[in-house]
Amino acid sequence: MKLQRYIKERAIFLSMNIFLFVLVAFFLWLINVQAVVMIIVFVCWFGPLLLSYGLEFLKRKNFYDDLLQNLEALDQKYLLPEIIEEPNFLEGQILYDIIKTTDKQMHEHVKKYKDMQAEYRDYIEAWVHEVKTPIASSKLMFENHKNEVTKGIMEELEKIEGYVEQALYYARSSSASKDYMVKEFSLQACISKVLKKNAKAFIHKKIQLQLTEMDDVVYSDEKWIEFILHQIIVNSINYCDNKISLYTRKHEHSLILHIVDDGIGIDEKDIGRVFDKGFTGENGRQYRRSTGMGLYICKLLADKLHLGLTIQSTKGEGTEVQIIFPKSKVVLLES
Amino acid sequence: MKILIVEDAETLRNELQEFLSNYGYEVEAPDDFQNIMQYAMQDDVHLILLDINLPIYDGYYICREIRKNSEVPIIIVTSRDNEMDELMSINLGADDFIAKPYNTQILLARIENVLKRTYAHQQSSILLYKSLKLDLSNGTISYQHQQEELTKNEIKILHCLMKNKGRIVSREEMMEYLWSSDLFIDDNTLSVNVTRLRKKIESIGMINPIETRRGLGYILA
Repeated sequence: MKLQRYIKERAIFLSMNIFLFVLVAFFLWLINVQAVVMIIVFVCWFGPLLLSYGLEFLKRKNFYDDLLQNLEALDQKYLLPEIIEEPNFLEGQILYDIIKTTDKQMHEHVKKYKDMQAEYRDYIEAWVHEVKTPIASSKLMFENHKNEVTKGIMEELEKIEGYVEQALYYARSSSASKDYMVKEFSLQACISKVLKKNAKAFIHKKIQLQLTEMDDVVYSDEKWIEFILHQIIVNSINYCDNKISLYTRKHEHSLILHIVDDGIGIDEKDIGRVFDKGFTGENGRQYRRSTGMGLYICKLLADKLHLGLTIQSTKGEGTEVQIIFPKSKVVLLES
Repeated sequence: MKILIVEDAETLRNELQEFLSNYGYEVEAPDDFQNIMQYAMQDDVHLILLDINLPIYDGYYICREIRKNSEVPIIIVTSRDNEMDELMSINLGADDFIAKPYNTQILLARIENVLKRTYAHQQSSILLYKSLKLDLSNGTISYQHQQEELTKNEIKILHCLMKNKGRIVSREEMMEYLWSSDLFIDDNTLSVNVTRLRKKIESIGMINPIETRRGLGYILA
């Protein structure tokens, strides 16, 4: 709060006072009053006036400067109403009451949406579990009655299964709750599961798999990692030429899992945006319909689990995805 | 081997019953969930496939009750797929946990694994084809007193063919079987392994029994 602006706001009142004083002084001069008396009148007139202005200014300055400073220091600016102190002057008190009321209302409003989101999430979760049973039955029907027609249906079913899984993890990733469980597990076993799930695709497309022996254990949520790996490997299967390799590298503070394919690669102008929601890019448009959700959800999950997820690619040569597991348990567990 | 299916979704139950029957298991799939414990406590049940979401008693309860007086292997099959459920199942004494919708090959592999773990001593680990013996416990084949060691891949390939005696096994089917046992081999490797396997069988004096049917697959003839 600047003194200049404060005075400027009261300029009319002050200038009227000065104007009046000049008039009075002129009148006093006409009736031959001594200069001393005129000075006394001036002091009696303007002394209390300026003093009260000065005090008022200091009071307000203290309050607003504090407020602004707090606002500056806050990460989440909307939390200001929580730390505001009740001022001791009228306008401040009115403002204080208004802020408190709107804050309360805002909380209720936000809570309503939080509840709604949680409810929606629960529904999606329940729905996904519900729909898995008919999918499982259909797959068994296929196994029991294999022929060319059902083979096609099976492929479509597997796509449905993939999308259903995506919906589940999207619901899980976007909710405020933390329903993941960090524990120690073997990376190799986890990768094995994902590879088995995609066995048909690997075999059908005659993809050569290079899997090096890994003895690494990592600390994370196994199911989430499985999902992330599944998304990445499905991408690799879709876009690779005929080779996919998986290996790990140990670093001082981390363990990095590399998933490399020899596929069409990603255009340089697209690569920065592959983790964006709904981004499909050149490849998505040209080769197959892509929802642009897979990698976006992976990134969300990875962020929640404090994992690094990076992607590098050379157009026409291949793509490499790295999942970076931090080594320290503390980082993961305190989250 | 008798498997008990505890599952309330009727279609799934029937299809699963048919599917497992096709693979040579004796299957019982009751729909009387009130008295499910009676079925579970039968002496001739070798394995139980148990769903979690069930009417009357939930799967966890049934699992706990069974464990009070029986060590019969239990595989939890459920659509609730998160770490918590898996951990809870294992803590309650289940032997394995599979999430719906399962890959059928993986389901079979898991069932086979659990059965092998539990009944290994009762089950013969020697498979016989004509006079060719495959001993799974030490990974060797023998023919008229001659012996030869096989690699992991070769054992699985021969095992797969022996299980499907007289039937053509397509290359894809064979590879899926190998993949379900953690052997992630590609097309070329399969060819190489089959060739080696043939050589090994011939080296112990048997005329090559693995025929290639062009465009179809392999058959033990």
